[in-house]
Amino acid sequence: MTPEERSAVLALLHSAHVTEPTRRALLERLDARYERQFFDEAEFGQLRALAVRLVPHDPADMDLTGTVDHRLHAGAGDGWRYADAPPDGDAYRALLAALPDGFETLDAEAQDTAIPAVQASHPHAFEDLLAELTEAFMAHPLTQYRFGYVGFADAPQWPHVGPNELEPREVAYGPH
Amino acid sequence: MAPTDALPTDLDVLVIGTGAGGAPLLARLASAGLKVAALEAGVRHPPEGIATDEVAQAGLFWMDERLAAGKDPVSFGRNNSGRGVGGSTLHYTAYTPRAQPDDLRLKTEFGQGEDWPLEFAELEPYYDELEYFLGVSGPAEYPWGPQRRRPYRHPPLPLNGAARLMQRACAEIGMRTSPAANAALSRPQEQPGYGTRHTCTNRGFCQAGCSVGAKASMDVTFLALAESLGAQIVDGAQVTSLTMRGGHVTGAEFVRGDRLEHLSARTVILAAGAVETPRLLLMNGLANSSGQVGRNFMAHVGVQVWGQVDDDLRPYKGIPGGLISEDTHRVPGLIGGYLLQSLGVMPVTYATQYARGTLTWGPELIQHLSGYNHVAGINVLGECLPYEHNRLELSDELDGRGLPKPRVHFSFGENEKRMTVHAEALMRDLWGRIGARDVWALPRAAHTLGTARMGTDPATSVVNPDGRTHDIENLWICDNSTFPSSLSVNPALTQMALSLRTADALLGGLKG
Repeated sequence: MTPEERSAVLALLHSAHVTEPTRRALLERLDARYERQFFDEAEFGQLRALAVRLVPHDPADMDLTGTVDHRLHAGAGDGWRYADAPPDGDAYRALLAALPDGFETLDAEAQDTAIPAVQASHPHAFEDLLAELTEAFMAHPLTQYRFGYVGFADAPQWPHVGPNELEPREVAYGPH
Repeated sequence: MAPTDALPTDLDVLVIGTGAGGAPLLARLASAGLKVAALEAGVRHPPEGIATDEVAQAGLFWMDERLAAGKDPVSFGRNNSGRGVGGSTLHYTAYTPRAQPDDLRLKTEFGQGEDWPLEFAELEPYYDELEYFLGVSGPAEYPWGPQRRRPYRHPPLPLNGAARLMQRACAEIGMRTSPAANAALSRPQEQPGYGTRHTCTNRGFCQAGCSVGAKASMDVTFLALAESLGAQIVDGAQVTSLTMRGGHVTGAEFVRGDRLEHLSARTVILAAGAVETPRLLLMNGLANSSGQVGRNFMAHVGVQVWGQVDDDLRPYKGIPGGLISEDTHRVPGLIGGYLLQSLGVMPVTYATQYARGTLTWGPELIQHLSGYNHVAGINVLGECLPYEHNRLELSDELDGRGLPKPRVHFSFGENEKRMTVHAEALMRDLWGRIGARDVWALPRAAHTLGTARMGTDPATSVVNPDGRTHDIENLWICDNSTFPSSLSVNPALTQMALSLRTADALLGGLKG
């Protein structure tokens, strides 16, 4: 995250366009970093390497791997799982165990080559992990800034909703 | 912190659940002078505390784990199950189309599915009442179904990008469209027991919680009215069993905070939804002489088609489902039919659906998601027939309270598969006409219906046409579990109509 990106995000979050509950949630997420608690160190390293290939991001910007670990440690779920799959943590561990040895040390191309095989052997775990990482990525204020998403700045309402009918704060937010 | 409010005593009626099934009748019974209370597993979510953020709003959904089995496993959680004072209406998209008369007579018309044990004429006055009370915004002339006797209370909400694109594409092929009926206010409205509900701010977050009270969720409508009339709502109360004596239900046991508590009442109404209601009945071995509890689980055919256009659409703005067409209410070759809806969408919902639906990963995934502001969606909602093979059962796996997790088997039948193919082809054609690129389809099922069906025959149904269980004279069910067939429209308005109708039947019985 460049200093310019960070200050643009903070400027909007601290503006009157954002309600207090929304501001609180997004400010907390912007800098959220988690201690590893659920996976062991080797698993965590593999998961981080896999996460970077599945949903390309800079772990220094956003701690997607830590978000997954934190959720599993807290025992939180999303309301359902495939009946023929083990609990999420076990399913993810099995997926990681199916990666080739030293996956995290392979070059990017070799890592990408290895992924389809684990996807085929652990389809539910792959889908769930991909969705979970994607959620954490898309919910991050930095991603939203980079994609020009301003929906959280809704305190003043959106009087115009048709195609290309943008409010000044929509035009201004995001990279140009 | 342990809850401190005192529990009510000497109750006439105890309602379990505060969604579209439980809330309207709670208000109706309270206004008739009955002493009533409701138990709600979730907590209160006042509008002003609701963040404009999907992850922060996870608390509005039922996140206890359910096991999804079958060939087309249903995703629960954020897909379809609410938790909180107001139930799933906290996150319904506020679509409130009426069922059409022939929706209730599927078996008569097609020889398959089920007929409802009631007529459209019995629902109609309740539809009229509800549309006014909730403050539905809709068109002056709605093109489908019987002419309504009372017009919508408010003019339609503005059409957002996806709605306008669908309007254009449908016009090209001669399909009629109309602004949808939405239970969100296009003008402010005074709400009895609540105060002023404000005009919709076009914030687009209807699939999660509304922050201004514009959306007619139960908390700002029927529940506020019920409480103003003396009804008590005990929130954070997860019911774990129904208590019985001499073949009658005497109340419910529930966990609140870390305490197990009990409420007694002369009549109990289960309004916990098509998963928790049968789960509770099966755990207690109640009301199941027909063997139908948990059977005939249904979820609407809900395939979505998404695409991206050059226009800057900002899919987070406007009511998500602004436009509708019911021209596909009957389609040759299909049993029942479906309706079309335009779709706005929030970024996290879109992104996770895209990831699950296409399994795209790597730079391609990021590339696609970066086009979020240009995304337009369209979907259908269609009939799902009741089947023996679609059912809810208790698994051996226990949840955090030591209760068995529900396992739900769901597989589309031939009709649902044909309907999905038909609808996807139509929507791909429409999105082709607006020049959409990166078009992709998400096969999907929406809503939870069935599992405690209503009927006149105690051998084949769980409740009678009024909602009273055949087996237990003072136990009633009022939620989407009693739907004998799915209807080809969103269920919330019909559910509320059934709720008022059940209340009137109960009150009539007390008078008689």
